[in-house]
Parts: sequence; structure tokens; C-alpha cells
Amino acid sequence: MEIPEELKKKWDEAVARYEEKRAALLPVLRLSQDHFGYISAEVEEAVAHYMGTTPVHIREVVTFYELFHTKPVGKNNIQFCHTLACNLNGCEPLIKQLKEKIGIKEGETSSDGKYSFSRAECLGACEMAPMMKINKDIYGPLDKDKLNEIIENL
Amino acid sequence: MPKVTIDGHEIEVSQGTTIMQATKQLAIEVPYYCWHPGLSVAGNCRMCLVDVEGPPKPQIACYTQVTEGMVVHTQSEKAKKARKGTLEFLLSNHPLDCPVCDQAGECDLQNFYMDHGQYDSRFDEQKHKKKKAQPVGENVMLDQERCVLCSRCVRFCDEITGTGELGIVNRGSHEEITVFPGKEVNNAYSGNVVDICPVGALTDRDFRFKCRVWYLSSQDSVCPGCSQGCNIRIDSNLSRPQHGEGERVMRLKPRENLNVNDYWMCDEGRYNYNFIDRNRIQTASRVKEGVVEEILFEDAVDSLASVLGDAVREQRHGRIGVLVSTQLTNEDLFFVKKFFKTNLGMDAVESRFSFPEGSSDDFLIKADKSPNTAGAQALEVIASGTYQSGEDLIDKTIAGEFDVLISFGVDIDGLLGKEKLDAILEKVTLLAYVGSNHNETSKKAQLVIPSTVYAEKDGTFTNVHGRVQRIWPAFPPLGQARPEWQIICDLSEKTGFSVSADDAESIFSEITQTVSSFQGLSYEKLGKEGSLLSTVKETVEK
Ligand code: SF4
Ligand code: SF4
Ligand code: FES
Ligand code: FES
Repeated sequence: MEIPEELKKKWDEAVARYEEKRAALLPVLRLSQDHFGYISAEVEEAVAHYMGTTPVHIREVVTFYELFHTKPVGKNNIQFCHTLACNLNGCEPLIKQLKEKIGIKEGETSSDGKYSFSRAECLGACEMAPMMKINKDIYGPLDKDKLNEIIENL
Repeated sequence: MPKVTIDGHEIEVSQGTTIMQATKQLAIEVPYYCWHPGLSVAGNCRMCLVDVEGPPKPQIACYTQVTEGMVVHTQSEKAKKARKGTLEFLLSNHPLDCPVCDQAGECDLQNFYMDHGQYDSRFDEQKHKKKKAQPVGENVMLDQERCVLCSRCVRFCDEITGTGELGIVNRGSHEEITVFPGKEVNNAYSGNVVDICPVGALTDRDFRFKCRVWYLSSQDSVCPGCSQGCNIRIDSNLSRPQHGEGERVMRLKPRENLNVNDYWMCDEGRYNYNFIDRNRIQTASRVKEGVVEEILFEDAVDSLASVLGDAVREQRHGRIGVLVSTQLTNEDLFFVKKFFKTNLGMDAVESRFSFPEGSSDDFLIKADKSPNTAGAQALEVIASGTYQSGEDLIDKTIAGEFDVLISFGVDIDGLLGKEKLDAILEKVTLLAYVGSNHNETSKKAQLVIPSTVYAEKDGTFTNVHGRVQRIWPAFPPLGQARPEWQIICDLSEKTGFSVSADDAESIFSEITQTVSSFQGLSYEKLGKEGSLLSTVKETVEK
């Protein structure tokens, strides 16, 4: 696949920051995900070519990290924390409410491509429990009404 | 140079030696999966844990370097407990399908479990299911559930072939070996990943389900597939012929020789064994009034001997040509030359052909697809007379220079085409073929004498770098086949000359006494790894 010049430029910049090209793989993958929304097999092949390795070695890295998506995700990627602090503060009823509201199950993307939803392990924002993350923003502490309001304003 | 004590044995080793290497020197066995002498150290399987005095936790032998005064225990309770724990983890998701696994009998999970197993499983959870029997290339079958994730196969494709087809994807207990979608393990050395896989995760599609490994017998040999002469093992099944439709050779495996092939062999050589058991010439034959009839071996030799005897008596031996294949051993070539050139006084004995040339690379695979061209050169069976090459000799035959053409394993049709073969047949009164397998040349020859294949004979090949290497018979010859040197002895006896020998070894010792480049060599000296011709300087051989 053809990689747009602007993304190529960003890759080059990332690589320039490291002594070894290989070390720039994570930033290169993140830039690619920011650009395409997810990392397809074609992107893996293009990155492999760029990094001077084989595609399966790129896939090793992509599949190791939850943060990389191998399928398209919704415009709003909602990750709801269900670890201890959030759990004690009542995340489960909120998760139920969210699922009903957007009409999809865990790990799914809505047919209009607007939402994706998944559970997440502790996102490091326990002081905001119960909390969720939508794309790069975090929201909490949540309650019934706040959750509704946030979703409606998306 | 640091001294280390392992299980009470002190040894001095060079700086940088790992505990694993030191245990090898002491012949102390430490179990391991991910370590392989031909690959980089990964240190991921934890099976090689040993108890080192000082640090509180056991250390991995494959990565830990020996330091002065280090004391190591490989059999202490601590070491054993650590290995037992490792094995328990490695087996937690293993499917335990040994009864249908080809690796059973040569599997390091089975082997090490005998010493380090938990025996009473504590694993109550559901095992992860992964893909089974998934072809990942023409020669390799993958069973992801059986994999212990040692990464040997991954490192082989990265470090040895540089093709990088295999990888480990996902995380934790979901990790699995895979190829990228649409890609395959199809490098020229792919069979080696099966050899180095310590378990039944990678099996050989050619060998799969053909024979249980405990029915196999092994004989060391040398691959005849090209002039590199990779050291191999011939695994054959003689006790249960029903398992392989009568085929004796079940598989070929590489044998370690750091001077020649390290631990590897190419796929072309590995899967080139069918000719040993298939399409063999098993009986002598002759064409009489246009019909092929089988005859006794002795009668065939008699009839060729009388043609030769008559020619010599009538001073027509200059009208006999001999083609010799470089598939023959040094011993065979030497006797062919001795009989025809020295005794019969013929000039036209030639083994040089400009082909068949095939693919080659800068690792093992050589373009010359025969194992003994360098031997023919050293023994002067190549470009030794007035003839520049085998092709030259054939052209002269067609031009009417010879009445009799004897081919030792040279398939004229295969090399030069049907037209040349037919042209020869129009000119000569006798085309005799001495060889192991049927081909168009043997089918049209008026006299055929069966000879052995390399797997049935004793002898030596000289590889492209001048290394003389032994081959040994893995099993007796099929049918009436005999080694070429013996056929020469028979011919010699019948014609009243004195070319004779009891065995290949005595011919070799004759070679070492008469051919200067072989001076000082003996079968004993060649051993398992071979020796360079005295005319060859030690160089990088690969
Ligand atoms: S397939 Fe075999 S060699 Fe490859 S990682 Fe698994 S166990 Fe090791
Ligand atoms: S490289 Fe040549 S000698 Fe070695 S295995 Fe292949 S064909 Fe045989
Ligand atoms: S437990 Fe939810 S953010 Fe830490
Ligand atoms: S052999 Fe040492 S960790 Fe695998």
C-alpha cells in the first residue's frame, strides 16, 4: 500500500530520534494508527518494509499491545475500566447502562461506526473511579446522569 | 581463564564460556529447549535452570557466563525443583496428543518429563485451544498447541536464512507461532525448522505419519545432491516394510559438521531420496533382436568383458569410450580409471560435464549437482586425456570415433537430449550402461549392468572444498546391484587383468599411496567429519 507523504515524514522524524531504527517501531505504529484508525495487514507490510524486517515481526508487536487495533474501531472508542477501584465504586451498573444506550456488546463496533466499546483493566485514574476513556480523553467519576450526558454529547 | 566447578568436577574454560557450554565439555546433561548451538541465545524457556552458589535464585545455564571460582550444581533439589516448575508451566496448555504426534519418541517434552515431570497434574483449568495441523509451507506442518515457544524456528529464519517468515504473535498464554497471512515458510532450507523444533509443533509434511521413529535405523552419510557434501543421516525402516510401501529410506536428516554444513541441509538435498528405492535397475539385461531380456549379472559382465578383451587383442581399444558420472565415489572412479586407462591402455575416459548445473546460493547450495567432481579432478578422471569433456567425447562418438561406449551412470538422454542418444546408437555397435536407476539411456542401451546407489556403498566423496568424506552402507544393495568398483574387479578378472580389491577401504589406501593429493589420508583419519586433500590449504570452507 502507498503510505502518504505526510505520514512517511512523521515516521522519518520518529526514527531520527533513536540510535537504532528498530527502537522507533512503537512510535511508528502509533503514528500509523493515528493516521488510519487501526493497523491493517497492509499497514503492517508497509511498516515492515520501512523498518527493514518481515511483516510477521511487525505483527508480533502489534498483537502484543492491547492499544493497537487490528480492526477498524468506532469514531468514539469507549474503554470502560472494570478493575478494583472502579468496580468498588460501581462500574458494573454503568457498563450495563452504557451497553443498552449504544446498543452494542463488549468488543463490538456499532454499525454506523460511531461507537466501539470494550472493558479495560485499570487505566491508572483510580481517583476518578468509576471512570472510562473515550479515545484519548478520560471521564470520571461517573454516575448515571453524567454517563448519559457524555454519551449524548458525543 | 576462569575455573568452574560443576557437580564436583572442576574445569578451566575460556573467558565468556557459558555454564551450558561448560557442562557440554564435561558431558554433564542439562535439559534445554530454546538453546541451540547454531543460533543466538534466547534464554526464554527456563528449562536449563541450574543452582549456582551465591545468588539466591537458580540461573539459566545457556546465558550465564562462567566466572572464576563459580560453583554450579545441576542436580541439587533447588535446580530440580526449578526445572520441574518450568516443565509444569510448559505443559499447562500442551494438548498431550503424543499418540498421534509424529515427534513422539524423539520429543524433548517426553524425554525431559521422565526426569523432571510433575506426574500428578495440578492443572484443573481449561486448556487454550489453538490451531492444529496447519501447513505453513510446502514442507512444514504447524501444531500451535504443541509449541513451547522456544523461538528456535523464529531465530533460524531470522539468523540462518534471513527470510524471517515465522513469528510469535499475541501475549501470555495466547502466544502462538505463526506466519503472516498469505506468506509461507518456503525458503530453501525450511526442513531445518522441523529438526530444531524440540517438540512436535513443527513436523515434516513428507515424513508425517510415515513411520514411528522407534522403527528407524540410522546410518551416517553424505548428501550426494551437490558438491557441498553436507553431512547427513539416512533414517531407514527395514523392520516394517508395510509402513512405507516398501520404501526403505524414510527421511534424511542433517548431521553436524562445522567444517561443511554446521547443523543444516537444504530442502533439495533433504527430499532427494526417492531414487534410492524407486525406479531401480535391479537385474542385468540386454537387448537381443530388439527385445529387452533379463540376464544373469555374471553373463552381463562376461559379455562386456569379451567385447573389451577382443578389442584389446585386436588393438581396437582406442575405439572404446567411457563416460563416468561424478556421482561415483573416489574408490569407484579410481578403479574405473585404473582398469580402462592403465590396464587396457585406453585414452577416452571422461567425467567432466559442463552440467547439470542448478541453482546455488552463498550458503550451502552449489550449482554442481554431483558430490564428487573434486574427487574426479584429483584422481584425474576429468579432462585427463585428449578429450576436453564428456560432451566432447559424445560428439566424437557421433562423429564415428568409437565403436563401443560404456556409460557409468551418465544419462546421455537426460543431459544432452534424445537426438544425441539416438545418433550415438546409430554409430556404435554397443552402448553399455552401468547404473542404479532406469532412464532413457538405460532403456536404450544394449547391455545394462545394475550398480548400487550411494546409500548402499562404502567409500568416499571429495567435496567442492577438497574435503574427503566417508559414506557408509545404510542397507544391502537392491537386487543384483553391486558397487562400480566391484563391477570393475569382475571385468578385470574376466579380461585377465589384475584390478582387484576386497573392499573400498583397501582401494582408498591404494589411492593414498599413488595419488599425491590423497597422501596421508586413511578411513580412520577421515572419521565422521572428513579431511582435506593435502593439496588444499585450510580455508574458509563454506
Ligand atoms: S514451533 Fe517448535 S521451534 Fe518453534 S517456537 Fe514452537 S517449540 Fe520452538
Ligand atoms: S547443499 Fe548440497 S550437499 Fe547440502 S543438502 Fe543441499 S544438495 Fe545436499
Ligand atoms: S481501577 Fe479503574 S482506573 Fe484504576
Ligand atoms: S535453554 Fe536456557 S533458557 Fe532455554
